[in-house]
Amino acid sequence: MTTLTQWLRDPNPTSRRQAKLGQLWLGWLRLKRNPLAMAGLVIIGLLLVIAAFAPVLATHDPIAQNLQNRLQPPLTPGHWLGTDDFGRDIWSRIVYGSRITLYIIALVAVTAPLIGLMVGTVAGYFGGWVDAVLMRLTDIFLAFPRLILALALVAVLGPGIENAVLAIALTAWPPYARVARAETLTVRNSDYIAAVRLQGAGAGRIIWGHIVPMCLPSVIIRVTLDMAGVILIAAGLGFLGLGAQPPLSEWGLMISAGRKYLFEQWWVATMPGLAIFIVSLGFNLLGDGLRDVLDPRSAAK
Amino acid sequence: MSLIEIDDLSVTFTAQGREVRAVQGVSLRVDVRESFGLVGESGSGKSTILRAICGLAPVSGGSIRIGGEVLRHDRAFARRVQMVFQDPYASLHPRHTLDRTLSEPLAIHGIGGADQRVMRALEDVGLPSSFRFRYPHQLSGGQRQRVAIARALMLEPEILLLDEPTSALDASVQAEVLNLLARLRAERGLTFLMVSHDLAVIDHMCDRVLVMQHGRAVEELTRAELAGARMQTDYARSLFEASADRLMG
Repeated sequence: MTTLTQWLRDPNPTSRRQAKLGQLWLGWLRLKRNPLAMAGLVIIGLLLVIAAFAPVLATHDPIAQNLQNRLQPPLTPGHWLGTDDFGRDIWSRIVYGSRITLYIIALVAVTAPLIGLMVGTVAGYFGGWVDAVLMRLTDIFLAFPRLILALALVAVLGPGIENAVLAIALTAWPPYARVARAETLTVRNSDYIAAVRLQGAGAGRIIWGHIVPMCLPSVIIRVTLDMAGVILIAAGLGFLGLGAQPPLSEWGLMISAGRKYLFEQWWVATMPGLAIFIVSLGFNLLGDGLRDVLDPRSAAK
Repeated sequence: MSLIEIDDLSVTFTAQGREVRAVQGVSLRVDVRESFGLVGESGSGKSTILRAICGLAPVSGGSIRIGGEVLRHDRAFARRVQMVFQDPYASLHPRHTLDRTLSEPLAIHGIGGADQRVMRALEDVGLPSSFRFRYPHQLSGGQRQRVAIARALMLEPEILLLDEPTSALDASVQAEVLNLLARLRAERGLTFLMVSHDLAVIDHMCDRVLVMQHGRAVEELTRAELAGARMQTDYARSLFEASADRLMG
């Protein structure tokens, strides 16, 4: 262990990989000092573990119905979070539902920031009419409330998880484009960009190799802070019947099913609601911590 | 024929409808392997001339020729002319290792053998090869400026534009960097066009110097004229007297 940390902390790394890992290690040490961020990280780690070992952790089949056993309260023997209106075990459904949530988060986290980064950096770097066209396009997307736009898109594309992801990604990129453009404007006239332009580099190389790395921290922070919103929109689409389709155990869909029994059998909607709440909180806490680690302006103190 | 020929150059910035004439009708000639200095106070337009050569400032009149050819900012230009910037804290990409910074120009121009070239470049500017994978924030100002010089020399240009290369550094480090530049010029037969507000630095480095004020050329002096204090204009004299004590040393 000590040799590994020594290798990571070596002030004179001997390879590109060691230099990069050393920087990551320093970031990790800074993140570790922040207890709230660590709490967020633990929550997300738990989510990953639960999703990975869902068949082991689930006590029942998430879609097997048992109508004699319906609407059992929490702490019933065999069903510690109770059962829903079809007699399905809520705990098992939440455990399997974590896979769907992670799937949606992962797909959105890969696509939306990438689109936003490309639009924002290209607009910021070239300026002029390219900037005007791209940013007005961004404004048009921003002008609609996110959920409404996602609803409209899913209504056109048809219900389903893939279409929900596509709709969320298409509505989530404009804020990233804004952030990336603002960062690009602050670095595009810096000497190090002038230096690489002077060496004959083309626009593609400058944007991808030199400007994007400077925009990444703020975009990553934004992504983690937005993940809570993405989960909520996915749940909202599920709730409205436009995301995952029954009998899939998507959390929003589960809340929607429990709505009918909200006053008498509160646990049917509350348990998946708590799951959404905890995971959203985890991403928010981690995002706050990452801001302290990645943002050079706040790290200056 | 001179290597750098600048005739009647004017640079005008327009910002929010206001025009700022940073350079007005300046002409100069720099011969092959010569070291030419531009000196003047802040805002005299000396740095703007360098930026105009690099295409970083809008030329509104006059002409710039390199080796008799009209200036074109293409890859061939990059291999002839490179620049060292004033502030070593701003001229290196904060998220790139020195290795990346130094091998980038090689990658752009498709030059092979990056490993040996980067090692040799570090050695040439007096940095240990163990620094190769460090980030700029792990270096001092003087070390950063050495990296910036190494980067400018990666493409083996014949002309090096120096924009106050030592003004952001401590006095002791200044001398080291100036000596490094003088040595590299002698070894590689480089042509320098150097900007400074400090006549002592110019006197140490340059064969000829052009004194500038308010965007105009005031007076051109050779090193002998400078050392003998034989300047014609009052402005050049006042500039000389301000740094005379250090010039003699």
